Amino acid sequence: MATKTQDKIEQNTNKKQEPITYDLVLVGGSPSNLTMAHRLCELAKTKPEMHISVAILEKAEEFGAHIVSGAVVNKTIFDKAYPNHIADGMPIESICKESHFSILSENAKWDVPSVITRAALPDFVKDGYYVLTLSAVVEWMAETLVTKANEIPNITVDMFPGFAAHEAIIENDKVVGVRVGKTGDPIEDNVYASIIAFGDKGFLSKDIIKHFNLEGNPQLWSVGVKETWKLAEDTPCMKGKVYHSLGYPTLDGTLGGGFVYGLDHKRLTIGLVISLDSKNPNIHPQKQLQEYKKHPWLQKLLKGAELLNYGAAVLPEGGLASLPKQFQTNGSLLLGDALGLLDMKSLAGVDKALESGYLAAQTAFDALQARDFSAETLSTYQENLMHSPFMDKFKANKYFRKAFLDNPELLSEFSPKFLKGIELTQIPLIGGLVGPLVGALIVGLSNPIKAIMQTIDVGIKMNSPGDVKQEIVYKAGYKAINPNFSKELIKRNQGRQEFNKSTIYSREDAVFYAQTKYIEHPEHIDEFSSDTCLKCINKYDAVKLDVPCVSDCTAEVHRLDISSEGIKVHGMSLENCIQCRTCELICPEQNLRVNPAYAGAGPDFRGL
Amino acid sequence: MNKDLNIYVLIKQVPDTRSKAGVNADGTIDRAKAGKMLNPFDAFAMQAAIDAKAMGGPNSKITAVTMGPPPAIAILYQALEHGIDKACILSDRKLAASDTLATAYALSMTLEYVQAKDGPADLVFCGLQTTDGDTAQVGPEICERMDLTQITYCEGFEIRDNLVHARKVIEGGAMEVEADLPALITIANSYNRLEHKTFRGAKFVQEVKRNEAIQKQFVEIIDLADCKAEDSRCGLPGSPTIVSATWKIGTVGGSCKMHQGKSVEELVGEVVNINQETIKEFAKA
Repeated sequence: MATKTQDKIEQNTNKKQEPITYDLVLVGGSPSNLTMAHRLCELAKTKPEMHISVAILEKAEEFGAHIVSGAVVNKTIFDKAYPNHIADGMPIESICKESHFSILSENAKWDVPSVITRAALPDFVKDGYYVLTLSAVVEWMAETLVTKANEIPNITVDMFPGFAAHEAIIENDKVVGVRVGKTGDPIEDNVYASIIAFGDKGFLSKDIIKHFNLEGNPQLWSVGVKETWKLAEDTPCMKGKVYHSLGYPTLDGTLGGGFVYGLDHKRLTIGLVISLDSKNPNIHPQKQLQEYKKHPWLQKLLKGAELLNYGAAVLPEGGLASLPKQFQTNGSLLLGDALGLLDMKSLAGVDKALESGYLAAQTAFDALQARDFSAETLSTYQENLMHSPFMDKFKANKYFRKAFLDNPELLSEFSPKFLKGIELTQIPLIGGLVGPLVGALIVGLSNPIKAIMQTIDVGIKMNSPGDVKQEIVYKAGYKAINPNFSKELIKRNQGRQEFNKSTIYSREDAVFYAQTKYIEHPEHIDEFSSDTCLKCINKYDAVKLDVPCVSDCTAEVHRLDISSEGIKVHGMSLENCIQCRTCELICPEQNLRVNPAYAGAGPDFRGL
Repeated sequence: MNKDLNIYVLIKQVPDTRSKAGVNADGTIDRAKAGKMLNPFDAFAMQAAIDAKAMGGPNSKITAVTMGPPPAIAILYQALEHGIDKACILSDRKLAASDTLATAYALSMTLEYVQAKDGPADLVFCGLQTTDGDTAQVGPEICERMDLTQITYCEGFEIRDNLVHARKVIEGGAMEVEADLPALITIANSYNRLEHKTFRGAKFVQEVKRNEAIQKQFVEIIDLADCKAEDSRCGLPGSPTIVSATWKIGTVGGSCKMHQGKSVEELVGEVVNINQETIKEFAKA
């Protein structure tokens, strides 16, 4: 011990510094990575003679501040990974006591009767699930991790909020470290480790997937926008109520849906998830969320309510077909969102993210004992994860995205017609099942054969995937964007005129509620070529549409400026950026890259 | 080439301006209840110390010094995170209620104590003032006690040929001065903002917190007896300043109301309504 202390003292005072090294570096304070560290603490107890050093990098100033999610989570994973989570005070907003699947037309809402939901849409039954504010859970995971690690002498866990990994360091086909600083001196800027675990949302893991040629199908991404509200005193309590909705306001043929979760302390979370492989170049996610709130059902709930927070994040929704070919490389593991473990059909990803961390810990622990960090040794992680019962539904729901890709008219043509029937349910006397039946009739009359065929095809792909045996081939989402997209369809998303102004916020106002903070001059989004941007601007100008990055930005970052020569050029107000990466994913020319910012800058999503 | 510089930076923990502090019955701040932060002016002083170290020889070093109750050690950890080499805190119950005279005395005795161990100062940096006292007196008072060259309101400096070339903020402009070392410099808030903590520093602080032996080596905790300060010159007995009474002088800000965080339309609506109400009130009067 004395020698070790002496070493440390010399390290800090000597001019000649040693490289910074750990056994394990976790990129991202994600639920997956934090669970990996928690589990590793437990495993370390079983081998007191073995010393393990861990560093966790988090790009936000505080753990949880860049986390935004639904989140309704199956409690089973917490029982497994955090058996004492109740006694340890994990923040749980509520336990779902009723879950609804609702179809929204412009004025009406039809709650699919629970007998039908239970029989036909069991994935939407969330009774008994935890309703969580994931940013708060991550904060709790980080705090309890420090306490736990301090009690175990043979493991050190260093927490680095405010330090993002900016670049993976790959030497001889092995991931050996990451760059965290920008002084230009590798000794000060780089952190090295035997194993690097990537639990990020693609910021760096995409480079690993590309470098090691791990990509099978491209990942399909969607963007989720979310607000938390404090309800008025006289609004009925919503705690424990979970609603998932389809239909209004996403009526342009894009796959998308809304969610409304009742939280503790009379708070309500309202969100919308929209797929980024939309043909529509202008999906306006934040504006769409405002349209969602204009629905009479939400207008009633939000009467006298107060907006607390706004945030946005992208979601990997390609599912099984988009998983990388390998979950590990020499010296690195991919976890959670870096892999893409979200099951879009059952709207569940957190459970599998935690499971990935739990299992990765065992693999890392074994590798550290054997001092072998080859991809081959680390492959037990992939094997164990793919055999985990938490992955059963994920595997079974593999055709979810394909079902809608193969039957596009279902959303663009038949769904709006069906909603005309739902519109009738606002008239109490002919409500109930009459509306949906009329809706089905309208669809049936318009194009009966196609409607029936597409409905059956989707039904089979959703419910009997074992019978399908079709290859899944995706193309990257941005390739779907069509500059000649129908103006009629775009108009459908521009909805209601009647609403209470105090429930609707502009995108500029939304930035205020995301609490962005950039102290240094931010420069975290790369625009590779201004000429490419000019061409893109001209292309969309010609068809009188907004450039996708400008329209689909969830904050107020991308803009068009008039240059001194009088031409439109792409500009960015990076100080507004909430780092969701939507612009990078939808840029039709792939001319943008969003990097993590330095010094913990960005939004503060705590409360989301 | 400048010589190796022995640099000291004086910092203070103050009530967090963003948190709500309680007010005691006698009108003083209930410091125990308030959140804590590094005095914002001292962040500039810390950056100045870091910049000075870079101008000095390769074995230059910085020691951060503070005075306060034991929890004030948090700002010393913050200093170490930014790459400051060592830290010392003077903590003693007898220091309670010290005014600037007593504080300057106690801090100069602390500086004497650390200088005896780590060598005489070439440069001492202080923040311009604190956000809880706002006197801007402690730095100059220490300077006089230690007989150093004094530069106040500094917003930029260089060390060339072992001389300090500094720019001071003065009314209506700036003044360039040149001074011999050793010097005490108070740093204005127009100086460079404190850079983000270093990874190595953040790592080191976590080791320090875990390991008592390392902690003892790098964060020294002393009391009045250690630095041979006379009790009678510290705390209340050593403070000639008398606060005879404090009273509430009214609500600061008057009728100013902030309108924010709503849509532009709504904000304009609110402001228009207020104006109309004001006009009506005027009309009545």
